[in-house]
Amino acid sequence: MIGKIAWRNILRNKRRSLILIVSIAIGVVAMVLTDAVSIGMMRQMLTNQIGADAGYIQVHKKGYQADPALKNSIADTAPVRSVLSTDTASCEVSERLRTFGLVSSAYNSSGVSIVGILPQKERKVTTVHNYMVEGTYLSGNPGDIIISTATAEKLRVGLGDKVVIMASRLDGSVGSEACRIVGLFETFDSGFDQTHVYIPMQTAQQMLDAPGRVSEFVVNPTDTKRTETVAAQIESDLPAGFEVLTYKQMLPILVMQLQLYDQTIYIFYAIIAIALIFGIVNTMLMAVMERTHEFGVDMAIGMANRRIFTMILTEALYLGVIGTAAGLVVSFAIFIPLSHSGWNLAMFSESLKSVGVGTTIYPVLAASSLINTILIIPLSAVIGAVYPALRAIKLQPVEAIRAS
Amino acid sequence: MDGKNTNTEIVRVENVRKVYHDNGVPVDALRGINLTVSPGDFSVIAGPSGSGKTTLLNIVGTLDKPTEGKVYLDGEDVASKTRRELADMRLRKIGFVFQAYNLNPVLSALENVEFTMMLRGIDAGKRKRKSLALLEELGIGELANKRPNEMSGGQQQRVAIARAISNEPRLVLADEPTANLDSETAVKLLELMERLNHEDGITFVFSSHDPQVIERAHRLLILKDGQIVTDKVNK
Repeated sequence: MIGKIAWRNILRNKRRSLILIVSIAIGVVAMVLTDAVSIGMMRQMLTNQIGADAGYIQVHKKGYQADPALKNSIADTAPVRSVLSTDTASCEVSERLRTFGLVSSAYNSSGVSIVGILPQKERKVTTVHNYMVEGTYLSGNPGDIIISTATAEKLRVGLGDKVVIMASRLDGSVGSEACRIVGLFETFDSGFDQTHVYIPMQTAQQMLDAPGRVSEFVVNPTDTKRTETVAAQIESDLPAGFEVLTYKQMLPILVMQLQLYDQTIYIFYAIIAIALIFGIVNTMLMAVMERTHEFGVDMAIGMANRRIFTMILTEALYLGVIGTAAGLVVSFAIFIPLSHSGWNLAMFSESLKSVGVGTTIYPVLAASSLINTILIIPLSAVIGAVYPALRAIKLQPVEAIRAS
Repeated sequence: MDGKNTNTEIVRVENVRKVYHDNGVPVDALRGINLTVSPGDFSVIAGPSGSGKTTLLNIVGTLDKPTEGKVYLDGEDVASKTRRELADMRLRKIGFVFQAYNLNPVLSALENVEFTMMLRGIDAGKRKRKSLALLEELGIGELANKRPNEMSGGQQQRVAIARAISNEPRLVLADEPTANLDSETAVKLLELMERLNHEDGITFVFSSHDPQVIERAHRLLILKDGQIVTDKVNK
């Protein structure tokens, strides 16, 4: 019956209750969508980096991660190939020879990471081929190169032009190769674009005088949840002298950012909760003051303080639950289409590209966000009603009855 | 009913004094009141406005505390009780009828009557049956599902009486119960309370200066300037 009275008390002042419910719902929408966009953005940064270059697992010669020089590439790839051939069922595998060098035109030069790839295999583990804006991706023809539009602009070259790539060989001499630009790419990350050029593996090995050498094997499990398992299996099967890294080890800052976010989001939740608590305190206090006379009568007829206290808290709980439900409905109504079409933030493209997000953000609704919202918001509403409820039960029956 | 309990006293008030402070100035509302109420009494505390009628009723009803003196309800010293115990005492032993009816506006007539029984922990089925029977007995059974704002003053006061007696209290305190009613309705209501007193043995103490109430009371106490100046059996 206390619940029934609480519910009817909410309906008594519909406008005030509605305003409060809308305020709570706005808080919920802000909480859910901010969380969804933030998580989406950070996961996108991570998956972009994994997709563009890192992949989920890489196998190197031991020490390559610390010093990614040509001398630390794998000279004898046979043991790795042997292990990968058995351990990478349901995985896509590619290999690269990578070094730092210069790409030059008649006008300018630029320091870049020169990556020799097997185009057909590389297409299956990375996404650069999806970002070709002019020309085509590498087909494997020796002497072809693809560079970014940013690098092309800097070198003042275009499709079909020749550029010269130069890098140190193993013996210390400088190897070079004149390559023809067959494609220009532009990804979601301007930093990445300015520092990567791709040539066929054969061309790289020839230029660097490193026949058969591979800097890194990239392994992408089809089911990415198996990353750790597959990595552990490869590591245990490989002989000593190799390192197997997952994206978490290759991209530690991004992974840490995600973990940090999971913790810092509670500060954001706390801000929303505090704002809500103040709103509830204010509204419930008004409701309690208006009903002073009624509480006096309730006390006179023998209603115990704890019941009055419970009744006020129940009213706040109902408001909190309704507000949360309304907020979740609105959140889903915004989230569902946005998660499919993405949120186009082209107006911030420059800054988003500088952090490797891309111009369209796909929000991700984590179960933890929903659980936190469902728990935090109604609980905040109840907490907000504690002070008004305490005020109500401290009323003296006689004085309360006298109140008009 | 508990009202038929054979205890000789339901209420004993001993040397009760109540001092209010009006802007720091002490005002004696009650000055040495001595009073006993016995089972089956149908008493009225009369007197002019400001004579202390409501203050006395509030003190007897444990809603207010005396500045000095003792109040015993059913033999128990009210001063020794905690706030919680007092609420429980009011719930079980006292029924209140107010001048302004004071029904819960969000509850129907039936629910208002049920409410006090719910507070006592009586199960829903039993309290509903009993509330309906009470409303029928008081002649307002057809109003069971009406909210207070859909009823006349007389009807609301009948619901208030039903609420007051629903827990079978030892005592019903009625503060100016007819003040807001027209004379015809007031008479009907008084007849009703007389019947409850006569047939069910419910003890009533009124505060009123309504001549119709005074006329029907079996015992008349007249308060003047915070003192009982007359305490007589009403002929």
